[in-house]
Amino acid sequence: MRRILLTAAVATTVALTLTACGTTEPAADDNAKKSGERITLTDANGAKVELDGPAKKVVATEWNVVENLISLGVEPAGVADVKGYKTWGTAVPLKNEPKDIGTRGEPSMDTVASLKPDLVVVTNDLPPAAVKQLRKVAPVLELRAADASDQIGRMNTNLDLIAKATGTTEQAEKVKKQFDAKVVEGKKALADADLDGAKFAFADGYVVSKQVSIRPFTSGSLIGAVNEKIGLKNAWTVKGDKNYGLGTTDVEGLTKLGDVRFAYIGNDGDKNSTPFTGVLAKDSVWKSLPFVKKDNVHRLPDGIWMFGGPESMGKYIDSVVEALTK
Amino acid sequence: MAVTASARTTRPPTVTSRTGAAAVTATLVLLVTALAIVDITQGTAAVGAPEVWKALTGRADPADASVVIASRLPRMTAGLLVGLALGMAGAALQAVSRNVLASPDTLAVNAGSYLALGVAAVTGVSLPLLASSGIAFVGGLAAAGIVLGLSSLGAGTVRLVLAGSALTLGLTAVTEGLLLLFPRETEGLYRWNQGSIAQTGFDGVLQMAPLGAVGLLGFLLVARRIDALALGDDAARGLGVPVRTTRVTVVVLAALLSTAAVTLAGPIGFVGLCAPALVRPLARRFRAFTRTRASIPVAGLVGAALVLGSDVLLRALVPADVAVAVPTGVVTSLVGAVFLIVMATRVRDGAGAAAPDRLHIRSRAVFLTTTAVLAAALVGVTIAAVLMGDSKLLLGDVVNWAQGRSGRAVTFVLDTRVPRVLAALLAGAALALAGTLVQAVTRNPLAEPGTLGVSGGAGLGAVLLVTTVPLAGPWSVAGAAFAGAAASSVLVFGLAARGGFQQNRLVLVGFGVATGASALISLLIILTDPFNATKALTWLSGSTYGRTFPDVVPLAIVLAVGLLVAVLRRTELDLVSLDEDTPRLLGLPLARGRLGFLALSVLLSGTAVAAAGTIGFVGLVAPHAARALVGRPHARVVPVAVLLGATLVCTADLVGRTVIAPAQLGAGLMTAVIGTPYFLYLLVRSRR
Repeated sequence: MRRILLTAAVATTVALTLTACGTTEPAADDNAKKSGERITLTDANGAKVELDGPAKKVVATEWNVVENLISLGVEPAGVADVKGYKTWGTAVPLKNEPKDIGTRGEPSMDTVASLKPDLVVVTNDLPPAAVKQLRKVAPVLELRAADASDQIGRMNTNLDLIAKATGTTEQAEKVKKQFDAKVVEGKKALADADLDGAKFAFADGYVVSKQVSIRPFTSGSLIGAVNEKIGLKNAWTVKGDKNYGLGTTDVEGLTKLGDVRFAYIGNDGDKNSTPFTGVLAKDSVWKSLPFVKKDNVHRLPDGIWMFGGPESMGKYIDSVVEALTK
Repeated sequence: MAVTASARTTRPPTVTSRTGAAAVTATLVLLVTALAIVDITQGTAAVGAPEVWKALTGRADPADASVVIASRLPRMTAGLLVGLALGMAGAALQAVSRNVLASPDTLAVNAGSYLALGVAAVTGVSLPLLASSGIAFVGGLAAAGIVLGLSSLGAGTVRLVLAGSALTLGLTAVTEGLLLLFPRETEGLYRWNQGSIAQTGFDGVLQMAPLGAVGLLGFLLVARRIDALALGDDAARGLGVPVRTTRVTVVVLAALLSTAAVTLAGPIGFVGLCAPALVRPLARRFRAFTRTRASIPVAGLVGAALVLGSDVLLRALVPADVAVAVPTGVVTSLVGAVFLIVMATRVRDGAGAAAPDRLHIRSRAVFLTTTAVLAAALVGVTIAAVLMGDSKLLLGDVVNWAQGRSGRAVTFVLDTRVPRVLAALLAGAALALAGTLVQAVTRNPLAEPGTLGVSGGAGLGAVLLVTTVPLAGPWSVAGAAFAGAAASSVLVFGLAARGGFQQNRLVLVGFGVATGASALISLLIILTDPFNATKALTWLSGSTYGRTFPDVVPLAIVLAVGLLVAVLRRTELDLVSLDEDTPRLLGLPLARGRLGFLALSVLLSGTAVAAAGTIGFVGLVAPHAARALVGRPHARVVPVAVLLGATLVCTADLVGRTVIAPAQLGAGLMTAVIGTPYFLYLLVRSRR
């Protein structure tokens, strides 16, 4: 037995060593210098990011970055959880087939490295240790994903930073202008429908073994900020977290809203994400809510990423205006 | 048998009248009612006591009334039902197993149901509530069967909990693996596992209430037989009671009740353990409670008071909006962990002769061959770990990399991969060494940093630092982990020392601390960073994700020091692990030596956790296997155990990184899957 073990171990080691000889790429002694002007950026943490030129091969770990890249006309080379983005971000669809780099929480360093990116754009949702490791792979632009004190400002800053790194500042200006136009347009449409200052609440919700949890988007959230920008009044009194401006509540927490207009985004690709049409339809607390009684509950189209960039927020404005003024 | 005879069999010295028992029951009913009333006045809606009163008297406005009827009352009823079911199940299990530590949790019923539901979810069948609770029932019953079978009914108080807790760890690891492998199919299962009594309407309650009634009725029908079992198997048989049938019936009924509770609210931990324990002192005063017919319903009432009390307490302490996010199960787990520890320090543990390993006398040649084989295996695994991953490399790449001549992609890949391989290797080696030291010092074959709660404490320390100072460096994380490990080990060893280091009590207290630590880690992350489940999973499941070279430096230094000390003090280790008297006869300062070795192993586990999260069972498996392979002398055990530990964790990490690439599985999950059967095997073997 022992002898067999010994032989097996030695044989395995030898075999591994022999078959694993050789290289997968030639030894590179020369570092081919890139042409083009150097770009120096200061990211959300105040760290300097130096690029040899506009980044072409970009990897993104968060979907809002992915969306910004698409809006800027840069096709991302690697994206975390591609399937998830294709489920939740259909409003700003991917135009290429990027490589899946793993989960958003723990993207695979190996896969990122094998893509040989010019730039990796991450957010502060990634563990600091992982960011540190990515810096060895490629220049890393670390963004603050969300900031409850100024979401729209944060959204624009992030777009600008990505645009600067990818040499697409002109396109960024265009995207921002489009968003501003949507805001003006939406505000006017709502005012015309006599909805200026109307009380409004946006949420998403999840069902877990028949228990419903609801996530209020407070005025500190991106959607909350956009709502206020187009003249709606956020009705949530729940306190949101300091990054995303999200709270937690249950069905009875909705009673505090009073007489509001209520909207939500679910997803048909994720059957747990639509409690409002499912479990709650029979719930008597839900049925007793004034906005449910008055049929002021609006399901906005699937696929608008609620933490996205100017383009998805523009689409959000369109859909919310359409729902409320119908 | 004599060891486990519970208080119930000894006749109470002071026997009071039936009225006393009735008064106690009435008080309990009042307490539960009071808690239930407070519970329905708490919640996220602005519906307080006055509105509830109006709603109950039919004078409230319809909105408030619907909150009370469709949200508050179902939640309260669910709490009541869950508490009753778990309390009764625990009391019945403790009675038939004559074991004060038996309960749905300690029999791994919840973990079995969790895995069964996970498997059902993965196969993609969407099931109605009743069918899925049927699956949960089968899983729970199977797990209880395994645990009871392994620990042999009525034989060992502590063995049962050890088998149950280990199986829980293993089954949960498998389920968590499924969660990661099939994120979409199993979505929601993770949160479900936290346990919460919140309800949407009465549907669930109405479906589960009949099951609870069936359980109660069943218990009452077999109550006399259960009482007879308390006299001992032979006496019961003498009275014409079918011992085996009664046991099986009670276990099935208890599994049914806990399944009902689990389906309704997810696992609400430790209620089934605590409730009967609280009834026991009552039984000493009031004779009526010594009868199963009375004690089971009373345990149910106490269970209801525990669940509702936890819910009320939570909502009283934190704002309602935050309380919504905190699962009831986390609160009861914390309470239960404290309870388990207190019980462990009091329980009589006669099973002192826990498995001295048979003395293997092996030749030097065997030792050298084993070491050579292991070293070869380690080299093989390390090479494989460096070459394999999302992108496969060849040795020439590594050579180029080492000489600093590799191309861009290879440099990137190896710069990120090599630290992870190193972290796994070093953490495995450190945990194995720590386990060897602890087992030598405590002469306890079940002791290791994971089962002793030391790893859990280290994880808690690290998470505390990481949540308060997000940019903490590797040395401060290692320091915090060590502080946590030190605090938990002082607690565990201090409490166990009071009982003169009883073999299994140490491990039992350790399991309590480990449970409490993981509940606190969950709580901490829910309260500080609610939208970051990855963080929790990384620390709880052990992962080398995102490690860089500086992160492993503290561990490398500590491991080097540890190995040096172990080699220099090998004779002392041999003597300490032998028995209590020999070292004294030889004039060795035993206490100081032991303390030193313990401190070293705590340092090793703390730094290992900082580098790779809480990886369990390595410290258990490696020293055992080493002793089995090369005999007892530490000069041989230490190198073999360290090689084994490094190989094991490195393999687990390699598998975790590659099977579902580019997504990842924690190394801790893999080692738990390997370690659990081994732990159970050790338990079985030590029974003889």
